[in-house]
Amino acid sequence: MAVLQIREAIRDAMREEMLRDDRVFLMGEEVGHYEGAYKCSQGLLKEFGEKRVVDTPITETGFAGVGIGAAMCGLRPIIEFMTFNFSAVAFDQIINNAAKIHHMTGGQFHVPMVFRGPNAAAHMLGSTHSQAFDTFYTHIPGLKVVSVATPKDAKGLLKTAIRDPNPVIFFESEVQYGIKGEVPDEEYLIEFGVADTKRAGADVTLLCWGQSVAIALAAAELAEQKGVDVEVIDLRSLRPLDEQTIFDSVRRTNRAVVVEHGWPYGGVGSHLIARIQEECFDALDAPVLKVAYEDLPMSYAENLEHLTIPQPSRVLEALEQVTYRS
Amino acid sequence: MPVVVELPRLSDTMEEGVVAKWLIKEGDKVKRGQVIAEIETDKATMEFESFDAGTVLKLVAGEGETLALGSPIAVLGKAGEDPSSALASATSAAASAPAPTEEAAPAAAPASPAPTRAPAVEVSSPAAVSVSEDERRIPASPVARLIAREAGIDLRVVSGSGPHGRIVKADVEGHAADPSNSATHATLSADKDEFGRPYAARGDVTHRISQMRKAIVRSMTASKFSAPHFYLTMDIQMDAAAKFRSECNMSITGTKISFNDLVVAAAARALRSHARVNSAYTEQGIVEHGDINIGVAVAIDDGLVVPVVRHAEQKTLTAISQEIRSLGKRAKNKELRGEEMQGGTFTVSNLGMFGIDEFTAVINPGEGAIMAIGAVREELALDEDGAVTRCRRMKVTLSSDHRVIDGAVGARFLGSFRDNLEHPMRMFA
Repeated sequence: MAVLQIREAIRDAMREEMLRDDRVFLMGEEVGHYEGAYKCSQGLLKEFGEKRVVDTPITETGFAGVGIGAAMCGLRPIIEFMTFNFSAVAFDQIINNAAKIHHMTGGQFHVPMVFRGPNAAAHMLGSTHSQAFDTFYTHIPGLKVVSVATPKDAKGLLKTAIRDPNPVIFFESEVQYGIKGEVPDEEYLIEFGVADTKRAGADVTLLCWGQSVAIALAAAELAEQKGVDVEVIDLRSLRPLDEQTIFDSVRRTNRAVVVEHGWPYGGVGSHLIARIQEECFDALDAPVLKVAYEDLPMSYAENLEHLTIPQPSRVLEALEQVTYRS
Repeated sequence: MPVVVELPRLSDTMEEGVVAKWLIKEGDKVKRGQVIAEIETDKATMEFESFDAGTVLKLVAGEGETLALGSPIAVLGKAGEDPSSALASATSAAASAPAPTEEAAPAAAPASPAPTRAPAVEVSSPAAVSVSEDERRIPASPVARLIAREAGIDLRVVSGSGPHGRIVKADVEGHAADPSNSATHATLSADKDEFGRPYAARGDVTHRISQMRKAIVRSMTASKFSAPHFYLTMDIQMDAAAKFRSECNMSITGTKISFNDLVVAAAARALRSHARVNSAYTEQGIVEHGDINIGVAVAIDDGLVVPVVRHAEQKTLTAISQEIRSLGKRAKNKELRGEEMQGGTFTVSNLGMFGIDEFTAVINPGEGAIMAIGAVREELALDEDGAVTRCRRMKVTLSSDHRVIDGAVGARFLGSFRDNLEHPMRMFA
């Protein structure tokens, strides 16, 4: 197996799908000549030409809308947001057109497209460039939402996203593009709605996705030193959600904690907790806890940013609390 | 689907009950929590609140009729439903369930519940009493409740370790794993904790006096009431002994010399020159034993035995060590022969491994003294130049029968014993 960075896995996924299906094209700011702000489209312009790798002006509403129109007309666009922070400018296109056209046209039109790019706080990007959009997009019926943490998952899930007949929000992260991992040489797809247990454990179920996967795994290591055996489940796909894997695990461990790279009010973590208490009430030994950003706009100052984002030590506190170690 | 109302367990010791009075009649609508009958238990007549709601389809039990726990007493359901099928299945279940109870009850002590009784506890007791006696909800995690429900554990007798006294999974599991917490062992105390929950009250347990216990009672009482004990305590430097011991252990195989082995060897060799300590008081006179046979007290389940190392002053350390190990192991397995526990002339009792610094022991009848050994402990000491150094010390207390041993005699013996341990080469040079 090749060892790739996440950015290379994303590039390979797009390239393979563009070779497989000539309806697939990539559009966004700096995706062509500059080969992507985070180098996720290296070599694609050269290989596929300007018709299929399209540099756009700084007009998110415009190119998101062009993508939706192209999808309605039978193409399979991949719209790259340089970061999902800029998707806020295209919010109306995404939630009102991409998500609803299939429904509103009674199935006459469908919108097979991918919106992809880095999401949530990275490192010292300030409050407006540190938004976590997980909650905004999972909130909207009609969108599928995935969030990746490893090169293998990135490639397999992006290929599935490109082939999906629905609009898919595909979350990456600036701080994770360089993460390396083994990627199978042969072609593979990863189904939506299947969580991945990144670490098996018996005492607590720790739910995470995207950037919080690394935090969760680090916290599990710390917990192990304290004698707490943590099961880390990477949800990968937030919508559809693999509830069965979550419930099975919680029924085994009797305790759960969610680590969310996003704000605590409302949100994906809150939804997970609601579902767990609905379905696993009798299995619970402790309240389900959530470790998320502090409920503040993200600070630019590095020290304050560090304090706002959940750190493994903060997750460890929650793990100790639900196992009654603290 | 009609619901069969069963005779509930309203007291811990209740085995059967009587419907003293029905407060409902067939055709009445019953709400959950409504008092539907007065039930006479072995303790009192208590109100029985319904766990279910519905129309009374049938009153099965007549007033004054004595019934086993769990017997169907009424059927609730929707107006017009036929109670007979629900009743038939309940009756057959009840008929098969109590049978093993009947069998087990006379044989087992009343405290141990027959397994078939557990569901009755689960269904009736907590719900019935928590509604009528105590409105306060017990803080317990859902899974703790589930486990308790399945195991028939009454949450009111489980102490909670979580926040605000919350009972968590570990508490229920710990409770279930503790054999002293069988469901009927614990009852509710009148005393309550800060959360208003009663403590678990447990009755006294009387154990049969075993043959070994009888022997201990006999000999210890005889000794303590006839032999006037006095006690001499001495603190002994153990650094040389510790060094000697580790050197021994580097050069021998087959056993490891313990401090206790050294103590036995040192005592045996000291006794050779202090015959009066190796003696016994008899009507005929004071018998100074010729042989030096050291008894070594060994704690075993529910008692202790004192096997004897014969001619201990003539045995090598290795031989003493191997013999004590073998005796100790066989003592714990109750494999000692009677003669192996007879003929002792002096006894050593060591509680150092339990962290005891010093204690006094009771002399074995037929002997003049017993030596109680404390732990070897590390301490700070001042050396000759006044500098602080580490040292090891051990306290021994000699209990002597004043009829044969006087203070100075005992003290001189202890002095020799101490010299043997502080200069171990003396024993073998």
